[in-house]
Amino acid sequence: MDEIVVEVRVNGAPRRAQVEPRLTLADFLRERCRLTGTHLGCEHGVCGACTVLLDGAAVRSCLVLAVQAQGREVTTVEGLATDGGLTDVQQAFRDCHGLQCGFCTPGFVVTVTAMLADDPAPDDTAVREALSGNLCRCTGYQGILAAVRSVVDERAKEAS
Amino acid sequence: MPRVEDARLLTGRGTYVDDVLVPGVLHACFVRSPFARAAVRGVEVGEAQAVPGVRAVLTAADLNPGVREQWHTSIGPQGPETARPPLAEGEVRFVGDPVALVVAESRHLAEDAADLVDVDYEPLPAVIDYTTAEQADALVHEAHGSNLIGTIAIPASDRLTETFASAAHVASETIRQQGYAAVPMEARGIVVVPDPATGDLTIYAATQAPHEWRLFCSRLLGIPEHRIRVVMRDTGGGFGQKVLVQREDMCIMLAAPHLGVPVKWVEDRRENLMAAGKSREEQADVRMAFDEDGTILAADIDFVSDCGAYPTPWPVMTAAAVGALFPGPYRVPAATFATRSVYTNTVGRTAYRGPWQFETLAREVLLDIAARDMGIDPVDLRRRNLLRHDELPFSNPNGMAYDNVSPLETLEQAVEMLGYEAFRAQQAAARVEGRYLGVGVSTYVEPSTPGYGAYATEAATIRIEPSGKVNVYIAGGSTGNSIETTVVQLTADALGVPIEDVATIQGDTAVTGFGAGAAGSRSGSMTAGAVRDTAAILRERIRAIVAHKLEAAAEDVELADGRASVRGTPSAGLTLAEVAGLAYFDPYGLPPGVPAGLEASARYTAEARSIWVNATHLCTCEVDVATGAVRLLRYIVSEDCGPMINPNVVEGQIAGGAVQGIGGVLYEHLAYDDAGNPVTTTFMDYLLPTATEVPVIEYGHIETPSPGPGGYKGVGEGGAIGAPPAVVNAVADALSPFGVRITSLPLSPFEVVALLDPSVREPA
Amino acid sequence: MKAAPFAYDAPTTPEEAVGVLAEHGDAAKVLAGGQSLLPMLALRLAVFDRLVDVGRIGALQGIERRGDALWIGAGTTDAAVERSAEVASAAPLVARATPLIGHLQIRNRGTLGGSIAHADPAAEYPAVALALDASMDVLGPGGRRTVAAADFFTGLWSTVVEPDELLVGVSFPVWSGRCGFAVEEFARRHGDFAIAGAVVAVELGGDDGVRRCAVGLIGMGSTPLRAPTAEKAATGAAVGGVDADEIGRLAAADAVGVPSDLHGTAGYRRRVCAAVVTRAWTKAVEEARRG
Repeated sequence: MDEIVVEVRVNGAPRRAQVEPRLTLADFLRERCRLTGTHLGCEHGVCGACTVLLDGAAVRSCLVLAVQAQGREVTTVEGLATDGGLTDVQQAFRDCHGLQCGFCTPGFVVTVTAMLADDPAPDDTAVREALSGNLCRCTGYQGILAAVRSVVDERAKEAS
Repeated sequence: MPRVEDARLLTGRGTYVDDVLVPGVLHACFVRSPFARAAVRGVEVGEAQAVPGVRAVLTAADLNPGVREQWHTSIGPQGPETARPPLAEGEVRFVGDPVALVVAESRHLAEDAADLVDVDYEPLPAVIDYTTAEQADALVHEAHGSNLIGTIAIPASDRLTETFASAAHVASETIRQQGYAAVPMEARGIVVVPDPATGDLTIYAATQAPHEWRLFCSRLLGIPEHRIRVVMRDTGGGFGQKVLVQREDMCIMLAAPHLGVPVKWVEDRRENLMAAGKSREEQADVRMAFDEDGTILAADIDFVSDCGAYPTPWPVMTAAAVGALFPGPYRVPAATFATRSVYTNTVGRTAYRGPWQFETLAREVLLDIAARDMGIDPVDLRRRNLLRHDELPFSNPNGMAYDNVSPLETLEQAVEMLGYEAFRAQQAAARVEGRYLGVGVSTYVEPSTPGYGAYATEAATIRIEPSGKVNVYIAGGSTGNSIETTVVQLTADALGVPIEDVATIQGDTAVTGFGAGAAGSRSGSMTAGAVRDTAAILRERIRAIVAHKLEAAAEDVELADGRASVRGTPSAGLTLAEVAGLAYFDPYGLPPGVPAGLEASARYTAEARSIWVNATHLCTCEVDVATGAVRLLRYIVSEDCGPMINPNVVEGQIAGGAVQGIGGVLYEHLAYDDAGNPVTTTFMDYLLPTATEVPVIEYGHIETPSPGPGGYKGVGEGGAIGAPPAVVNAVADALSPFGVRITSLPLSPFEVVALLDPSVREPA
Repeated sequence: MKAAPFAYDAPTTPEEAVGVLAEHGDAAKVLAGGQSLLPMLALRLAVFDRLVDVGRIGALQGIERRGDALWIGAGTTDAAVERSAEVASAAPLVARATPLIGHLQIRNRGTLGGSIAHADPAAEYPAVALALDASMDVLGPGGRRTVAAADFFTGLWSTVVEPDELLVGVSFPVWSGRCGFAVEEFARRHGDFAIAGAVVAVELGGDDGVRRCAVGLIGMGSTPLRAPTAEKAATGAAVGGVDADEIGRLAAADAVGVPSDLHGTAGYRRRVCAAVVTRAWTKAVEEARRG
């Protein structure tokens, strides 16, 4: 099948590649951009480990074709912290023991980043529902939920 | 303290096996059997081989002859084992059985070519139901002569028979647990890189036991052990599934040197659910005899376990553990057990967090049934029978000698944290309103830190570098259990240095001493012992050097905050950097008998065969009787893992295991249809709990030190042992007004409704 | 788990898309959000020679009040529907069904038209379209046609849309007056496909008589279903005299071809259906009474 040239901005940098139409955005990021922070946990759109931001919206990159990202802006876990440190979301995961093996973690961090941009003051039910599309096998979600709660509380404190 | 693993993992800079960059690597994809059992008449690879970008399509004839010997260290070369051909040879024995291996420039191309491999199968009658496997005509392994893998049993004594016959009350049930599996978020994976010039191999693998994989590979290929390097950087969960080399891993170990190129296999999720192994598929007839006060007089379990076609490893001893541990942390004077492991034409049984945990499920569920039948509160029944601290050490009737545990104490703590009486009142009020709340407990005792065979030792190397910074090398195998962090903590404490000054190197057989890996809840205690023994050598050396330099007594030298100071004269001291400077750069100035440098290695040997751990899990729930939905309300764990190296890590391990246990009761089912086709091979069908299904977990800690280093005990597996019966008992308690008995899992909403209204089982 | 190879087109008008579909017939498939199609391709449960990506067609986007109907372009994402104040006020049933669709990542890509064209009986939008008697705008090589929801769903994952046609938009009639709307679903976990679900719309007269009502069923057949016996029992009656449990029972009995699978038998689903219909009816009526 003919390959297609695709131009995408990834973490602020322009990327250009020739790809088969069937190449998913997840595989494009991992193989062509060498950004392996986006993980493949299922490749059928359930586990959320591959979550990235597409034009700011959290999406399952295994369910987006690279060609569908033509002309768009992708942010991966590697692109969240712009100064080499950790964002407040990442720091909260660290402080609250919200990760163990780390495989699901990039997906969660991206999802939480997007979720809080949409809704800065979610209650507990809203937090759980927003996270229900990301699977974790190690933490039992305890540290993850604590991390999100702590970010919400901290941001609220800073705002006031 | 923040984990040392976190900075890289949070920013997507971990290195999992699929992230490893190897120039020239080719990608593997397996062709797998669609039949539960079939003869393989032929494998046509021509069309697949012709696909551009395909390097090879390998069959059993190509790969299997390359096997020199294959055996797992824990079993040994003479141990009983299931014959495991790397690729299926002549017969496929389960749906998913690997038949051919495609190696191509990309996984995409490999999958395209795999679709073109034409296998001529002649379907054969398959053995699917493990409860009748021993009577089946068909044999899963012809050469074995039977579908019974092995049995270990203690015949019931006449006295035991008499006890059951004459007891005031006997509880007797068949308890059945469905198959489910470890399902780590990262599936399996391996990259094998041959060096064509030397024949050496470098292997990157998602493994919990890098050294075991090196040994296994060395025997498999006949390559000397020291010419093989196994590297495990980051691995996304294991839970027992990644401890031992399995058949696909063997195929890649054989294929790469065979082709002379690096070969990578990354398992996809469908393969993982179909072929990585299953656990928990088992049942038992269980009995307990009681006197009229509810005192346990005897216990008996007759257990059978579905081990699939290729269990890894040989499963008979794990089955025996179910029997031996069945009496649990209770004052049971007499017991017996019989355990059987059988083959079926389904995926092989592999280890999963607390592989013997059925003993706790069966016992705790039976106790609650017995309690309800006898009109005794389930907590009271346990109070009467749980071992007290002053009764230890206690040998259970099957020869398991428990010590340093606190079963009754954890029950009391859990019950108090709930406010048990208040809950019972709440439950009664809810029933009047037609709402059904329930509470369930389970108490267990668990052998951690196995002190036998390859597991009995663990080594560390500590190098205090010339600048005074510290590197600690340890075998590792962490797939999320934080041993990078805990080893750094232990080392920093042992040497009196700030945590920031310590780094650890793990998971690389080229630079670390043999270790059996992260399994059996052994890492906490064993790494503590290894670090303690190694650090002791260095502390003694540092004291001697400082004492000599400052003309003080060695026993007066204390190590703290990166300094070695003389007690009582804080200004008299040297920084560790200064001590290292002396040790490395002024060897002739060292005291006589003290070697130069500040490097040491030591291998710690476990003193006990097991370190016993215990906990009580308590769960409350509400059951919606219209739909069968179970909502968990509170979840309390009172655990005794001794002193904690890192409380966050301990609680995280408990939480992860508990949620796996909750998943095992309410959501997860590795299911097969009657023809042996797996029907839960995607995450659409195999359901894992998500953030909306889990309760907040509350922890109580009781600290009974073990005799081991630091008093530490293992905590990795307990959550998955204690949780399932707590949940089952809570549901049964909620539904007790309806007189239901729950003896079979899973408790899907449908199954809950079927308990209340069996007519829903009718097809029409 | 990689999809088999396919060719790819990204037309910018509906007519262009239809042209490609007409040329390739069965071998081509419309790609909208991809949240149902791409997993099937990854699992190699379906294979197509060519995907026609309609995500760049501006004419398929939009939410517009058109007279007494709310038109939603087929390519409008679930997330856009979720955020829309227009949908919330003009078609509350659509708005309330949306948060139940999968997870936020799915809703950011999945489209309303994609869900309706895919016609999974356990999905939300097909049942809402059926309940509200929506009409679907379909474009083919021969021109446009409008299909009523009652005629649109023909079987499991099948609709009247031909391989060379494209669903362009859906018009949802706007209910006005003293109305109440509710969606109740029972699923194994949050975001899973419903084991059984109910979408209910009810309009009351000033006298609290049920002027009209609609009960749609999710997951109870090979297509979304209506519950005509339940609707008939309630229509014209005084709302206070309508027994919600009875509505639930009648609706469950209305279902035909109820599936049996790993999650439960048909008998179990009828029981759950009755419960969710009862809950949805009760909520909808409460809202209508407040209006």
